Amino acid sequence: MEVLREKVEEEEEAEREEAAERAEWARTEKMMRPVEVRKEETTLTQEMLRDLEKKLSEIQIPISAELPAFTEDTIDISKLPVSYKTNTPKEEHLLQVADNFSRQYSHLCPDRVPLFLHPLNECEVPKFVSTTLRPTLMPYPELYNWDSCAQFVSDFLTMVPLPDPLKPTIKREEKVLPKKYTIRPPRDLCSRFEQEQEVKKQQEIRAQEKQQLREEEERLMEAEKAKPDALHGLRVHSWVLVLSGKREVPENFFIDAFTGHSYSTQDERFLGIESLWNHKNYWINMQDCWNCCKDLIFDLGDPVRWEYMLLGTDKSQLSLTEEDDSGINDEDDVENLGKEDEDKSFDMPHSWVEQIEISPEAFETRCPNGKKVIQYKRAKLEKWAPYLNSNGLVSRLTTYEDLECTNILEIKEWYQNREDMLELKHINKTTDLKTDYFKPGHPQALRVHSYKSMQPEMDRVIEFYETARVDGLIKREETARTMTEYYRGRPDFLSYRHANFGPRVKKLTLSSAESNPRPIVKITERFFRNPAKPAEEDVAERVFLLAEERIQLRYHCRDDHITASKREFLRRTEVDSKGNKIIMTPDMCISFEVEPMEHTKKLLYQYEAMMHLKREEKLSRHQVWESELEVLEILKLREEEEAVHTLTISIYDTKRNEKSKEYREAMERVMHEEHLRQVETQLDYLAPFLAQLPPGEKLTRWQAVRLKDECLSDFKQRLINKANLIQARFEKETQELQKKQQWYQENQVTLTPEDEDLYLSYCSQAMFRIRILEQRLNRHKELAPLKYLALEEKLYKDPRLGELQKIFA
Amino acid sequence: MNRLCDSMEPRVMDDDMLKLAVGEQGPQEEAGQLAKQEGILFKDVLSLQLDFQNILRIDNLWQFENLRKLQLDNNIIEKIEGLENLTHLVWLDLSFNNIETIEGLDTLVNLEDLSLFNNRISKIDSLDALVKLQVLSLGNNQIDNMMNIIYLRRFKCLRTLSLSGNPISEAEDYKMFICAYLPDLVYLDFRRIDDHTKELAEAKHQYSIDELKHQENLMQVRLEDEQARQEELEKHKTAFVEHLNGSFLFDSMYAEDSEGNKLSYLPGVSELLEAYKDKFVIICVNIFEYGLKQQEKRKIELDTFSECVHEAIQENQEQGKRKIAQFEEKHLSSLSAIREESELPNVEKKILECSADISELFNELMMLEMQLVEQLEETINMFERNIVDMVGLFIENVQSLMAQCRDLENHHHEKLLEISLSTLEKIVMGDLDEDLPDDLRALFVNKDTIVNAVGASHDIHLLKIDNREGELVTRINSWCTRLVDKIHKDEIMRNRKRVKEINQYIDHMQSELDNLEYGDILD
Repeated sequence: MEVLREKVEEEEEAEREEAAERAEWARTEKMMRPVEVRKEETTLTQEMLRDLEKKLSEIQIPISAELPAFTEDTIDISKLPVSYKTNTPKEEHLLQVADNFSRQYSHLCPDRVPLFLHPLNECEVPKFVSTTLRPTLMPYPELYNWDSCAQFVSDFLTMVPLPDPLKPTIKREEKVLPKKYTIRPPRDLCSRFEQEQEVKKQQEIRAQEKQQLREEEERLMEAEKAKPDALHGLRVHSWVLVLSGKREVPENFFIDAFTGHSYSTQDERFLGIESLWNHKNYWINMQDCWNCCKDLIFDLGDPVRWEYMLLGTDKSQLSLTEEDDSGINDEDDVENLGKEDEDKSFDMPHSWVEQIEISPEAFETRCPNGKKVIQYKRAKLEKWAPYLNSNGLVSRLTTYEDLECTNILEIKEWYQNREDMLELKHINKTTDLKTDYFKPGHPQALRVHSYKSMQPEMDRVIEFYETARVDGLIKREETARTMTEYYRGRPDFLSYRHANFGPRVKKLTLSSAESNPRPIVKITERFFRNPAKPAEEDVAERVFLLAEERIQLRYHCRDDHITASKREFLRRTEVDSKGNKIIMTPDMCISFEVEPMEHTKKLLYQYEAMMHLKREEKLSRHQVWESELEVLEILKLREEEEAVHTLTISIYDTKRNEKSKEYREAMERVMHEEHLRQVETQLDYLAPFLAQLPPGEKLTRWQAVRLKDECLSDFKQRLINKANLIQARFEKETQELQKKQQWYQENQVTLTPEDEDLYLSYCSQAMFRIRILEQRLNRHKELAPLKYLALEEKLYKDPRLGELQKIFA
Repeated sequence: MNRLCDSMEPRVMDDDMLKLAVGEQGPQEEAGQLAKQEGILFKDVLSLQLDFQNILRIDNLWQFENLRKLQLDNNIIEKIEGLENLTHLVWLDLSFNNIETIEGLDTLVNLEDLSLFNNRISKIDSLDALVKLQVLSLGNNQIDNMMNIIYLRRFKCLRTLSLSGNPISEAEDYKMFICAYLPDLVYLDFRRIDDHTKELAEAKHQYSIDELKHQENLMQVRLEDEQARQEELEKHKTAFVEHLNGSFLFDSMYAEDSEGNKLSYLPGVSELLEAYKDKFVIICVNIFEYGLKQQEKRKIELDTFSECVHEAIQENQEQGKRKIAQFEEKHLSSLSAIREESELPNVEKKILECSADISELFNELMMLEMQLVEQLEETINMFERNIVDMVGLFIENVQSLMAQCRDLENHHHEKLLEISLSTLEKIVMGDLDEDLPDDLRALFVNKDTIVNAVGASHDIHLLKIDNREGELVTRINSWCTRLVDKIHKDEIMRNRKRVKEINQYIDHMQSELDNLEYGDILD
């Protein structure tokens, strides 16, 4: 019942929205049989009428019987208003009218599906369908247009498949796997030629088999696509029809409430229409649906095509020319309406349902409990309301390999409001590759991070928003033994750095806490062309072969050349025969120059170049090392972020933003206190005494004096009373304490430790109370004269006692 | 300040001194050892310091072509000279010398920092070539005229200036004046100029500065106009039709023609002349416009040609690069294989293979180059034919237009002769009622004289027209030949360079391989 109720309510919801668009609820029958019976136009004689009445009374109306009973009912019926539980006389009348209409209909059209006129509501009371609709305008702009409104309704509805009416409970048949290993027929001993022929043949056959297999697969695919439906055309269900005309709706269309999608009235999937209703009337389709809904004419004012139930409430146009009916405007309708016979009309009673209220929270939550699962073929889509999941998950799409949805292919998870800007997480189950996509704004400028494990030194690719990074890094690829970085937009024109690592050397002496980086075997760096330098001085690629102590340089190619200069340095330091260190020898630098220059041949130049490269090598090694550290840092940060997954809350979000909420509440409290204080200051001391005197008259001097005296003496009395009260309490406490002490001293020996504890705690509390009372008394004694004087001053200044002043003046 | 060096003998900047300085200031430690081993060439020196050397005359610096920084401070130099070859100089320090005038800096266009502190300069001058000047130090000199500051306005990059210790710095208005007239200045006398001072200064000297600015602007506009005119003329010249868009040619015809000028006073001649001029100018303008159009066409043709050639060369280079890259990849791996190989026969086999690869690469690259040469030759020939045709057509058309000019001239000549003869008749008859200038009347002595005069005028005119036409034709022809020659020459140069490059590369590869061989044998 719950589903139905929600459905109805949401239908209403949609209806409210589309009321202006003259949406009609269409109830259709698929594969509608041709309508044979036309409405009888001839006037009936009395006898015929009686005969008809007799016949009609015999007809059984199976309306409520066909409704499936919903066992679960979570709605508290007792809280619903009376209109839900009873029918007004008008409604009763309407139900009778509907019954009569239904009886006539089943008599005239015995072949057609019974009408859906007055289902039971949640309180088991029959209600006419039109009265379940109540147009309401909602305060959300999203609900103003049909598409977003339909989307909302579809989100809110949860589809529960009905039990199959043909086979109520049938166990699933176990599928028998096709035999995989069929035995091949034994081969004859034949001549080679024959064998060859055989092979050829077999190949042909195999090709054929392949072809067949492919066809088979295709057929299977086809079969998956559309299983033959045993109930094809027999099911009847509801959807929304929006008629053209108002609110700039150009043409009629259907909305499927479960998906929120719109369909043209020409769509082949809609096989026909049984009946239509809105909040004003109920129509039966009398047109032939042999060609689905394509030929239907939605002119509800045409009694030949649409049999109405109530006369007069119909506002639809009756087309003057049957062909062209869409262009008729409202004024015509009104005129037509006025001409109709007033006596026959019976107004649709007012809707019995309450106005729907959607709280902003519920609106944001959209789906019931904020969660919705949609099952597709080989895929499952789960949706959550924002902030419902603490990790910001808003939707998840799972795709499966098989139709039964057991083998997961990949999972895509979308997130919102994440502080780490995670947007999408993509998990490929077959390769086990995880890819995280980030929005701009991650502290490490991450854009994409794909990995198989969060352990360092494994295969991973990290892409960055390079504009957010100082070093212009775009992408860093890692494998177990290499690390490749791509750069763009650097002042040193570096575009690529590739590092090869060797196996880690075990260091026994070092403590385990110290990091033991892998030795770098080779660093390759590539540079873009620097237009400020001549090509033969602009390095295109430099390779530091750290293990071999060699440095290779390749320069950029000049515009009109096809060869590029190369240089190779051996940075091994050697010692000559005398034991002196050899600084630089010509064979330490092998170079090929496209255009040999004089100065580059000099040892000094080569020495300086080598020194420079040595420094650069150190820097590059450091860079690689830092990159490794950065990866570690990123991984650590990611793990922390995954563990904490804080969500950002907009400062405009008053409900969720705790800080602003606290602040607002504090402000409200302050305001409240301020208000109280103001009220106190406005407290009128004279009011009770003035009330004794006749109102409106001006006080005489005598009266004023008396009033003042009375007020003052009263106040004095109150002060004394208060003092007495405090004194009395103080004495009482002291006495009690004394009594207790006495009792303790008497029974000290026999007391259990618990009693003693009790006594001690009592004593300390009593002492505390006595001390407080004493303080209050002292304070009262100090303040009382001051308060008295203050009141006297106040009374003296009171304008109502102006007479008093005259004495003193 | 009495300097110690005053008492010493002035020294000459000779080779020893320079070598010593270079050696001392050159690379140190390990690099120094290398430098000593090899010797340093003066032209490789970038920075030279020659302070406190008691130098009287700057000399012997012509070898330091690439010098960036030169310090000659604290000497007794009296004249700036011998710096003409140091065109790359950026930093020049001549402070604490005895220089009296600024001179000899006209070739130092790259100079950014010039220090003439503590000299005897009285006028800022001769710095026009120093367009990149940023820092100028002229403190402790004898500059006494404030107008020197205005001279500094032309240095757009000047940011730092020091003038303290000059007579002008005593002036009350000194700082304000400089701030106002040099608004881009950031540091004055080693102090930053704050914005407030700048504003004050600007307000104070606004009128005079505005006037100055106005004048400068006017000058600028005039300069630009002149430039634009020059450019226009240059454009016309490249089209070979300069001075044809008006009456220049016509005017030049009469410029040296005294008889013609005299004859124009004859009755009816001035009208005739007017009509003649109009027609003549129209033809001239036709030639001019036609010339511009043709020039445009030629330019498009040339552009298309060079674009196509460029593309072809690029494409060819790419292919070559690819080939080399492929080869290098293979070569590297085979080299390392050779190194690892221990069996001598195998090594030799592999080395042979390698050298076969190298020669194959050579063949491939040379084939590519030959292909390109053939293709380009064809294209160049086609272009040559086309451009020669175009030029020929242009000349033909211009000649026909010039012939029209000549016809006009002939016609005019006939008319003029007719008028002259009739006038002569009238004079002879004595019934000439108009006054004629005396020198004109002198021509009407007899028929021969007047006919000769008219004929002379006609000859001059024809000569002018012929000259103009001849000039045009010769120039365009020579342009055409030069262009074609250049294209051919460029192509030959390109081809030679490429062949040289390929050979060099192959030689290098081969020698590398040979070295490896020897190394292996030695091992």
